Amino acid sequence: MKGKAVRHFGIALCCIVAAGIQGCAASGDNGKTKIEIVQYKPEAASYFAMVEEKFNAEHDDIQLKISSPNDAMTILRTRFIREDYPDIIGIGGDINYSYFVDAEILADVSDYAGLQNIKQAYRDIDEALELVPTEGTYAVPYVANAAGVLYNRDMFEQHGWEIPQSWTELQTLCTQIQSEGIKPFYFGFKDTWTCLAPWNAMAVSLAPADVTKQVNRGETNFAKEYREVSEKYLDLLQYGLEDPFAYSYNDACTAFARGEAAMYPIGSYAIPQILSVNPDLNIDSFVMPANDDATKNTLNSGIDLQFCVTADCKNKEAAYKVLDFLLEEENLQQYIDAQIAIPCKEGNFTLSPMLDGMNQHIAEGRMTDYQDHYYPSEMAVDAQIQTFLLQKDVDAFLKKFDTDWLRYNRDIIRMVQDYEKSHGN
Amino acid sequence: MKNERKTTFLLITIPILALFVCFNTIPLIRGVIYSFTNFKGFGSYDWVGFRNYMDLFTDARVGKSYLFTFKLAVVTTIVVNVISLILALALNSKIRAKSFFRGAYFLPNILGALVVGYIFNYFFTYILPAMGTMIGSDALSKSILSNPSSAWIGIMVVCAWQAVAMNTIIYISGLQTVPEDVYEAGGLDGATGWKQFRYLTFPLIIPFFSINMVLSVKNFLMVFDQIMALTKGGPAQSTESISYLIYNNGMSGGQFGFQSANAVIFFIVIVTVSVAQMKFTGKKEEQL
Amino acid sequence: MKESIMNKKTNWTAMVVLILGLSAIAFPLYMTIIIAFKQPAEMTNSVSGILSLPKTWSLDNFKEAMRVTDFWNSLKNSLLITLLTVALSITIHSLMGYALGRNKSHSKFYSFVYLFIVSGMFVPFAILMMPLAKQTAELGLANWFGVIILYVVFYMPMNIMLYSGYLVNIPMALEEAARVDGASTWRTYWKIIFPIMRPMHATVAVLTALAVWNDVMTPLVIMAGSDQNTLPLAQLNFQTQFGTNYNLAFASYLLSLIPILIFYIICQKQILNGVVNGAVK
Repeated sequence: MKGKAVRHFGIALCCIVAAGIQGCAASGDNGKTKIEIVQYKPEAASYFAMVEEKFNAEHDDIQLKISSPNDAMTILRTRFIREDYPDIIGIGGDINYSYFVDAEILADVSDYAGLQNIKQAYRDIDEALELVPTEGTYAVPYVANAAGVLYNRDMFEQHGWEIPQSWTELQTLCTQIQSEGIKPFYFGFKDTWTCLAPWNAMAVSLAPADVTKQVNRGETNFAKEYREVSEKYLDLLQYGLEDPFAYSYNDACTAFARGEAAMYPIGSYAIPQILSVNPDLNIDSFVMPANDDATKNTLNSGIDLQFCVTADCKNKEAAYKVLDFLLEEENLQQYIDAQIAIPCKEGNFTLSPMLDGMNQHIAEGRMTDYQDHYYPSEMAVDAQIQTFLLQKDVDAFLKKFDTDWLRYNRDIIRMVQDYEKSHGN
Repeated sequence: MKNERKTTFLLITIPILALFVCFNTIPLIRGVIYSFTNFKGFGSYDWVGFRNYMDLFTDARVGKSYLFTFKLAVVTTIVVNVISLILALALNSKIRAKSFFRGAYFLPNILGALVVGYIFNYFFTYILPAMGTMIGSDALSKSILSNPSSAWIGIMVVCAWQAVAMNTIIYISGLQTVPEDVYEAGGLDGATGWKQFRYLTFPLIIPFFSINMVLSVKNFLMVFDQIMALTKGGPAQSTESISYLIYNNGMSGGQFGFQSANAVIFFIVIVTVSVAQMKFTGKKEEQL
Repeated sequence: MKESIMNKKTNWTAMVVLILGLSAIAFPLYMTIIIAFKQPAEMTNSVSGILSLPKTWSLDNFKEAMRVTDFWNSLKNSLLITLLTVALSITIHSLMGYALGRNKSHSKFYSFVYLFIVSGMFVPFAILMMPLAKQTAELGLANWFGVIILYVVFYMPMNIMLYSGYLVNIPMALEEAARVDGASTWRTYWKIIFPIMRPMHATVAVLTALAVWNDVMTPLVIMAGSDQNTLPLAQLNFQTQFGTNYNLAFASYLLSLIPILIFYIICQKQILNGVVNGAVK
């Protein structure tokens, strides 16, 4: 009896092994130039699958492969340590990009012709992200996202509410909404990263865009620059729920989709999730009016996806062809439609009506990058903001921010100082 | 004859030990080397000597994570072992629908972290407060996960809920090694219920008790999945476990070198705790 | 003698405990099942809303989940890795557990090796991850085979603990009798000890299979870029920072739960059929 069972098990095992080996051996070589892209936005996987198929159908000299894995950063890091570099990586314009430039993993693409058509505002953002000014261009910005306030358009129209242009107007509006028995804001602060959304949206208008660099150079401190943001954030909190730390991002999206609040201070990236719960919701957005002087308010927008050719790429020509294809208007427009994104390329693109309220700022280029793109993730500024919102102690929060900043950016600060010295500043 | 036995044992031990050294000890040593650098996980790095270790002992966040992790591990280990011993005894006794019960109690262990996280988040955020309001309890009418002083309880519950299955399986297999004639002999002496368990069953399954204690303490000291699924370290950084810091700041963040140092110290701490445990239960085994 | 035990009447105290405890499992399971059948538009934040039954019982979520995860292919990879790991673990770990368990009480060397290996259990995976990614690539093992080798090493400490713990209750007299008959140690092991440890093999099989089946990190790090997905890797696709399709994810988790549950039920029978009792008499 038992012997038979073991034998069956053995046979089954052999079959599986054989099947596995066969599966591995199936890939063939056809003499084409191979270009591999790993991009970090799995939510856009179906778009990239379409691009891959279309590109391969049109080109018989290049074989394109795009993977959109979840947790792409871990995958990229493990592949870097193995020195198994993809040809092109699709990442965000954040501190990881800064690190990759610093680590000399990326190739200089200033000779790429397509760069000419990329909006200057976004090329500047990439330039600013370099830890110390580095010669060359290391990324081709693709699409951006923006963060401000999403609002329920139908609800606003029904009650005759107007989009606020200044901080005072926003406060008046919130009081009015409250008096009509509706929650002005929904927050999902259980997920710490959502605490950064209102923070960024206000900080771009209230603090210098390069505040972190100024601090690194020892010119100022956060206790001074971030005080107004912190105080206004506490004001904002009183228009939200009683216990915003109980609800996650997903809860907040669901609640906003179901009309449980008039506004939701989050980025455009949340729109697909909200629409999945309620496809008929009429959403629009506006720029966070953090200042009383409307002209000082700028839109919080940063690079959501950009493509970098790795230094290891054997075939830059072919890589540029792939970039050209990705930047073709028809393709870029499809991405924008699917992800409610903002193109980084100049041209006649149709933006989603859900970004109507931000359109003017986008058209005029009045945009400033997310402050958190300069924060090292291990400092956990999001969690520190959550702590601050729970304890409501502005002084303690800012003091910790300043000491922690020096602690977590020690190596970067030293690098900046060395650079300043050697460049005679 | 004696020599043949010795040679056989050596022939078994050496190759397997070599395999182990190759894929556990050597990478560990390589990892330890990183702990003396400011390596970010990619790119170039500099040697920083013992700076990471010095920083470690002055880092309030790391200190807090040790306190939290140990509190969680001790409480959860006790809760899990009490529950799983009771379950193992119940599942091992003469009951109906045995296979059904054994299968059912195994389920929590196979549900993925995403599912468990979602369901328990829902439970703590909406269902429990609703029940709390119904019975008029103030403490329960708010989500326990949003309060920095009670969030660890939520994590404890989920850890226990998932871990009970594994500990129960180990206890059940331990109970199989208890010869039936022991019970029969005991039954003649009038040992039943608690007495039977305390003086007959428990002493015989002590090796399994000690395995379970070591595994539980180890698993809960290394708690990570449940934290990611439930609180991601919040609220107010009150539930950052050591593994959470090591992984999040080292692997995802740019602190690879520093967190390697943290991992090295953490490894030494767990080994010390576990060896002490094994020594302790080992003595108990010999006494009986 | 045995008969008298078998004929004992049902233990009702145990039944009551088990039935009460069942609610702690039934409730989350109920939620998993109904969410797996619902559509995203049916998700709400109200207690009554989430506990209500789905509007229609359609299998669309399951079909879609199977398509997204490339179910059969991922399942094949997961099965391959899990079954091979289990088979190797039972063979290698039980041998090692036997060698160490029988010698560690009287030999310094074996007791050191035992502690050395068991302490390997406490190495945080994060510190091994990068060096292993590099090492497996250097050895050409950045594939499913490398993952299996790593699993055999990772679960060695726990399994060796289990096997040598089990051996404590197996009397030496059995081996000595065989030795008197002139059988070699190797032969004695396979003919007498290995079969006797069957309940422990089943336990090891269940615990190892479970850990392997659900593991994400090892295949993620080792097989990155190899185009091969295991089920948990494929399931990561449901979850992104800015949006998670819980309905599809839950359907997919329910699907991947079935094979391991069947495996457990088969093994559970083996754990029950303990042969030690007979052997001791």
